[in-house]
Amino acid sequence: MRAVIAEDSVLLRQGIERVLESAGVDVVGSTDTAEELLLQVREHTPDVVIVDIRLPPTHSDEGLRAAVQIRSEAPSVGVLVVSQYLELGLALKLLADSAAGVGYLLKDRIADVDEFVSAVRRVATGGSAIDPTIVSTLLSRRRTDDPLRELTPREREVLELMAEGRSNQGIADQLVITLRSAEKYVSSVFGKLGLPHTGTESRRVLAVLLYLRS
Amino acid sequence: MEPPLVAIAAPAPLEDPTARPPPRPALLWALAAAGCAAGASSLLFALTNEGIGTELGEPLVIALLADWITLSYVFCGLVAWWRRPASRFGPLLLVAGAANYVTTFSWTTNDVAFTIGQSFDLLPPVLFLHVFLAFPTGRLESTFERGLVALAYGVAIGLQLFRMSFGGFGPHNLLEVAPNQALTDAATHVQLLVVSAACLGGIGVLATRRRRAGRPLRRSLALVVDAFALGLVMIAFLFVSLVVGGPAVPQIRWATFVTLGLAPVAFLVALLHSRLARSSVGDLFVELRSDPAPGELRSAIARVLRDPSATLAYWLPEFGLYADLDARPVELPEGGRQATTLIDRDGGRVAALLHDRSLLDEPELLAAVTAAAAIAIENARLHVEVRARLEELRGSRARIVEAGQKERQRLERDLHDGAQQRLVALSLELRLLEERLADDPEARRRLDLARREVGASLEELRELAHGLHPAVVSGHGLAVALESLAARAPVPVRLTVVTEGRLPEALEIAAYYLVAETLANVGKYAHASAVSVDVTRAGGAVVIEVADDGVGGADTERGTGLRGLADRVETLGGRLRIWSPAGGGTRVRAEIPCVP
Repeated sequence: MRAVIAEDSVLLRQGIERVLESAGVDVVGSTDTAEELLLQVREHTPDVVIVDIRLPPTHSDEGLRAAVQIRSEAPSVGVLVVSQYLELGLALKLLADSAAGVGYLLKDRIADVDEFVSAVRRVATGGSAIDPTIVSTLLSRRRTDDPLRELTPREREVLELMAEGRSNQGIADQLVITLRSAEKYVSSVFGKLGLPHTGTESRRVLAVLLYLRS
Repeated sequence: MEPPLVAIAAPAPLEDPTARPPPRPALLWALAAAGCAAGASSLLFALTNEGIGTELGEPLVIALLADWITLSYVFCGLVAWWRRPASRFGPLLLVAGAANYVTTFSWTTNDVAFTIGQSFDLLPPVLFLHVFLAFPTGRLESTFERGLVALAYGVAIGLQLFRMSFGGFGPHNLLEVAPNQALTDAATHVQLLVVSAACLGGIGVLATRRRRAGRPLRRSLALVVDAFALGLVMIAFLFVSLVVGGPAVPQIRWATFVTLGLAPVAFLVALLHSRLARSSVGDLFVELRSDPAPGELRSAIARVLRDPSATLAYWLPEFGLYADLDARPVELPEGGRQATTLIDRDGGRVAALLHDRSLLDEPELLAAVTAAAAIAIENARLHVEVRARLEELRGSRARIVEAGQKERQRLERDLHDGAQQRLVALSLELRLLEERLADDPEARRRLDLARREVGASLEELRELAHGLHPAVVSGHGLAVALESLAARAPVPVRLTVVTEGRLPEALEIAAYYLVAETLANVGKYAHASAVSVDVTRAGGAVVIEVADDGVGGADTERGTGLRGLADRVETLGGRLRIWSPAGGGTRVRAEIPCVP
């Protein structure tokens, strides 16, 4: 698996490189600007890029724009966006019409090395990794007529993990249950919320997020 | 007219046109007597000599018409010089009258006098053109005008001398050298055509002047003068008909002579127009007694001066500049059609009156008007001064808010690029260290604890940074930033943002704080079940409206939150309004101007 990193803090960039390399990911490029990132993506066509939202020169949205551009120019490249703060609006902008090969995580998560590496792998293989903070923001949203109240605590946990982009196996591992019971929970959540069953996990992410946002 | 009540220094025009002293009465009387004598002598020439060609009609009629023109110029010139010593117009009329008198020498049989008189023969129409174009200042303003008049003089006298040298003027012509009928005829034609063309050119000059003036400057006055452009047409018509051999109707000539003689009277009336205008200064007093709004003061003054272009520029000593009613700085004009009269009161500058240059010839009128309006002008000046201070205050408030915003933005950036990045790197370092201490559970436990502490610090820093400045707004725009606010709101929010692209940063930040604060208030006080947030464009403004279906009756004075929001909105030139009827929900609406 090959990765490119765009992060302007040297300490952090080197930290990410070490984490990924010790997990067996080949870091083929690393840079501190969005411009250079785009060039390296064209040159290496990596499986995944890890990009900071705020990059020079203005430190406003250069990283995000580069991420959106990579998504449209090279759909096969997974894009994992990391940031010091999370914004629901940015998540929605980034996902736009597909959650396949997209991740959006708080930078703090990088220190949870195993979680972070698993998120990188998911994004690189066309899956999704949405920060739990985004999901909990959506879940905290007040609704007038709230079907979420119908969910059992367990089903609610499953919903959150689905929204983060985990596979059924991932959900089962996380909750320490069997794959079969995980599938059962997923199915009952979809039923209670009136969502149609969708094929891939990344489609499931988008459907759940859009449902939660509405 | 002496103003009652008001002590006012005489208005001091920037350029003093009254520097020339008025002529002494003795001189005027002497000139008047000379004029009368000249008229009488012309009559004598006509009746005692055979000089008048019979083709002009009855000698007596011709002599009377010539006298009519001479005396009209002389007497109107005298009055103009006496009443308007500043203007060169009076002396110009006198010179024209004198030249006109000299032409009657051609009726004598004295060789010298005849020759002089004959060489002046075509001068009257050119003098008329000159006087016409020089009204009211007595000067020719443009190079073209000066060229036109010089050409006409040159042709009228120069070609006349040329013609006379080739004969055809009878036995008294001293200049005759070699008679040549063909040359004389050709020169006559050229002479008549050029003078006709110059007269028509004069009409062109007049038309250009009127058009350039834009709004008619002192219309009534101009009309009187414009009517006498007819005289120029009549001259041109007469001369062209002579060239092409048209019918020589004596009555047409007589009519032309009458018109030429009437013209100075019209010029004089127009020049002395202020006598009439001054009578309306009394109306100004009446109008000002009712304490008019500062805006009406200008139009009242413009009416009395009969100068629609008249405006007032108020002196603001604190700022060291002149300003209009809206406290916008005004540059006093230099040159051009407008002149400036400074208005002082009790030794201090109050204002400057900007008016048509021709009014400089009527200093009494300016003095009377500025004296009559002095108190009102001083009041208006105070109004402008207050306004200017208010504008300055508003400007400084905007600068303070902006400086504060910039500072907070800088702090947020420093936190983000500094402490936050380092803590994330530190957290990662601790985690990697933890892995290397696989066989020391106590060390791992303590490292894990340290990492959690770092995580908590990061959380606090994140909130602190966001409180300093919502970076998401400047980085990604209002629509993106409002998503999180809506999601975290304590009641369901219907969010609609309809704006094309990004808005100015200061506006987006103000709108963000407005929505954040209002949604927090909804959660605290409104007991609402739903709230709508709408950001739309309406004309030249962005409208931000937050409406809930709660209990209403919001105390708009509550706390400093709303006041602070109003400050932010007003700083951007906008307006914040709140409707909160008891039981009828609360609606907060801000309109902030924004050029699309």
